[in-house]
Amino acid sequence: MSAVPPFVERVRSALGDERLHVALGRATEALRSRRASAFASLEDSDRVRDLARKAKLEVLADLASQLQRFEERLVANGVEVHWAETGEEANRLVLEIARRHGVKRIVKSKSMATEETHLNPALERAGMDVVETDLGEYIVQLNQDRPSHIILPIIHLTREDVGAVMHRRIQVPLSDDPRTLAGFARAKLREEFLRADMGITGANFGVVETGTICLVTNEGNGRMVTTLPRVHVAVMGIEKLVPTLEDLDLFLRLLARSATGQKITTYTTLLRGPRRPGDECGPEAMHVILLDNGRSRLLAGDDAEILGCIRCGACLNACPIYKSIGGHAYGDTYPGPVGAIVTPGLRGLHGWSELPAASTLCGACRDVCPVRLDIPRMLLGLRRETVRTEKTPLGLRLGLKAFGWIAPRPKLYRAAAAAARRLVRARAREGWVRRLPGLGGGWTQARDLRAPAATTFQEQWTHRQQTARATGSTPGASAGGAGGAGVRRQQAHKPEAASGAGLTPAERAGGPGGAAQHPPARRR
Amino acid sequence: MTARESILSRVAAAQRTARLPARPVAEPMAAATRSRSHCLERFGQELAALGVGCHVETTAEAVRERVRCLVEGQRVLSWDAEHLPYEAGAVLTAASRGSSPRAEQAAAEVGVTGCDGAIAETGTLALLSGRGRSRAVSLLPPVHVAIVRPEDLCFSMGEFFARHGARMSQEPSCTFVTGPSRTADIELTLTLGVHGPGRVVVVIGPEPA
Repeated sequence: MSAVPPFVERVRSALGDERLHVALGRATEALRSRRASAFASLEDSDRVRDLARKAKLEVLADLASQLQRFEERLVANGVEVHWAETGEEANRLVLEIARRHGVKRIVKSKSMATEETHLNPALERAGMDVVETDLGEYIVQLNQDRPSHIILPIIHLTREDVGAVMHRRIQVPLSDDPRTLAGFARAKLREEFLRADMGITGANFGVVETGTICLVTNEGNGRMVTTLPRVHVAVMGIEKLVPTLEDLDLFLRLLARSATGQKITTYTTLLRGPRRPGDECGPEAMHVILLDNGRSRLLAGDDAEILGCIRCGACLNACPIYKSIGGHAYGDTYPGPVGAIVTPGLRGLHGWSELPAASTLCGACRDVCPVRLDIPRMLLGLRRETVRTEKTPLGLRLGLKAFGWIAPRPKLYRAAAAAARRLVRARAREGWVRRLPGLGGGWTQARDLRAPAATTFQEQWTHRQQTARATGSTPGASAGGAGGAGVRRQQAHKPEAASGAGLTPAERAGGPGGAAQHPPARRR
Repeated sequence: MTARESILSRVAAAQRTARLPARPVAEPMAAATRSRSHCLERFGQELAALGVGCHVETTAEAVRERVRCLVEGQRVLSWDAEHLPYEAGAVLTAASRGSSPRAEQAAAEVGVTGCDGAIAETGTLALLSGRGRSRAVSLLPPVHVAIVRPEDLCFSMGEFFARHGARMSQEPSCTFVTGPSRTADIELTLTLGVHGPGRVVVVIGPEPA
C-alpha cells in the first residue's frame, strides 16, 4: 500500500474536513441510538450475546476440523470449494473460474473479503466487466473511491456529492434527492443483473452442519447476484463459520440490531448449492473460495479473539476516534477499533503500528460489541508489541525517559507541572490555547487546548482544609463555608452565566465562568 | 503441498497456540414459541411497522378475490398454481411463471407467491426455492404479494429452523423476506425498492376447514 500516505497525514486531512465531521457525527449518532432501541427489543440479550460469543470461540478453537466438515458439506451439496492462501491467490481463482465458465460480465454484492483482496482491479485488468451493486459500493466504484464504513460505505459523502458523481459517470440528470438517485441506480443496475454471467458475493456466515452460506442484505442486490447469473462465487474468510442453524439464529438476532438497528435485515438468504435439474432459477454452478490471507497467523497469537468479529460496524459508531477521523484514515479495508486490530493482524504490525494507538481505550467498542470482543485488551497488547519491535522516535524515547525519571519524584514533578502550567496559561486567550510549541503542537494541530486552572486541585484542596481548620468545620462540609475561595467564586458565578439573565451574548461568552464553558470557534 | 493442505495445517497449529479467552457460561435457549393467535397478532403488528399491507380473509374465495384485486390490470409473475394456497392460481391464469422467458419475467409489475413459513416475531416471510417456486417471483417485480396460511406461522426464526430443517436441507436456497427492499446508503435517508420490491402485501387466509 505504498500509495497510502502516512497515518499522520491521513488523520490530519480527515480532521481538517468539516463536512466529514458533520456527516460522521450525524450518521454514527443515528446508528447508535437505533442500535440501542433495537437491543431493547431483544429478549434476554445478554444471554444471546454470551451464547453467540461461546459459539464463535468454540469454532475458532476447533477451526481446522470445522473447515473440513464445512467443505465436505459444501461438496456434498454440489458446490466446488477452493482454498486461497493470499488475496492474490483468491483473485486468481475467481478469474480462473470466470474464464472456465466463459464469463464476461460480473455483478458483485457488497463483500469485505473481496475489498480486502482488491478483487475488482484484478478482474478489470484481466478484461472483465465488473459492477458493484450495493448502492453505496456502486457509488464508491463510480467515484473511484474507497468505502469508509463497514456497513455504510459512503458515510463520507453528502447527497450532493453522490448526485454529482452519478451525473458525471452515468450521465443521469443532476439531483440531490436520495430517492431519485437510488431510482437511477436501480434502473442502471437492473440491466446489469439481467445480463451478468457471474455473481460474486462474500458470506456473512457459513453454517458447518448444513454447508450453508448466509448472506444478509437490505437492498436485495445479494439476492439478484445469487439468483440471476449462471455462476455464483462466494469469497469467505476462513473464520466465518458457525456450527449449526441454531447458532446462526443467535447471530441473526444480533447482527442487524448491531449494524443498522433493525431486528433483522430485509433479506436473509441461505444458499446451499447450485440449482437442481428442473429449477427455473439459481446459478448452474456455485463456487466457494475459503480465504486465509493472514487469518491463520492471527489465530496463532494473542489476538485470535478478533476472528470472532461479525463485521456489524457497531464499534465504529461507538468510537470517539472513528467519529473524528472517519474510515479512510485507517488506511485499509477494515476501519475503526476492529480495523485497528484486524489490519495489523492480517498485514503485520510493521507499517500499521499507529492504528492500535489511535484509541482512547474508553471501552465503548467492547460495550457495544455483539460478541463482546475485548478490543481494548487487544489494542493494549499491540501497543506493547509495537514498543517491543518497532523503532520508537528519539524524541518520544527521550521524553518518556525524562517523564519516567521525574514522575516518581513528587517535588520535582510538582515543580515541572507548575512550570508547564504557567507556560501554557501564558499562551491562553479567553481560557483556550490555540497553538503549542514543540511536541505539544501535536495536540493543538486540530483542536484547541483548554487552559489549565490557575491553581491545581491539590492546591485548592489544601487551601480548603486549612481554612476549614481555621473555622472549625470539616473540609467535606465546607462547600457552603467561607473557605475554598477559588472554587467558590466560580460556583457563585455559574447560575448567572448559565441563565444569562441581563447579559448580552458578548458578555455571556466573555463573562467570568462563562468563558471557559465553550471553546471559541476555530478560525482557519 | 496444496493451498488447502497448508492452510489447514497452519490453522491446526495456530489452534494450539491461540490465546482464546474462556468461553462464557450460558445455558442454551430453546426456540421461542407462542400460541397461534398470539403469533397472528404479533405478525400483524410487525408487518404494520414494516409498512407491509396485510389483509386477513376468512374464506378461500375471499383470498382469491383479494389477490385478483391486488393484481388487476397488471402484468403478473407468479409461482406455479400448485404451490399457491387457497387455489389462488385460479385467478392468475394469465400470469408469467418462473419458466417464462427472462425478459417477460423482468417486465412483470407484480409477483405472487405463497410461503413456507411466516415468522411473527419479525414480520418475516420464509420462501424455500424449488421447481415451480422461482426465486425471481419475489425479487424482480416492484410489488410482491405473498399468500400466508395461519398454519405457516412460527413465532421465531428458531422455531422455523426446528420445524423446517429437514425441508431446508433438500432445497438449494431459503430466503427470508422482511418488508420492502430498502437502503439508507445516501445520508441515512430511507429509500424503498432499491433492487427488490418496494411494496410487499400479505394476504392471510383462513385455517383449514
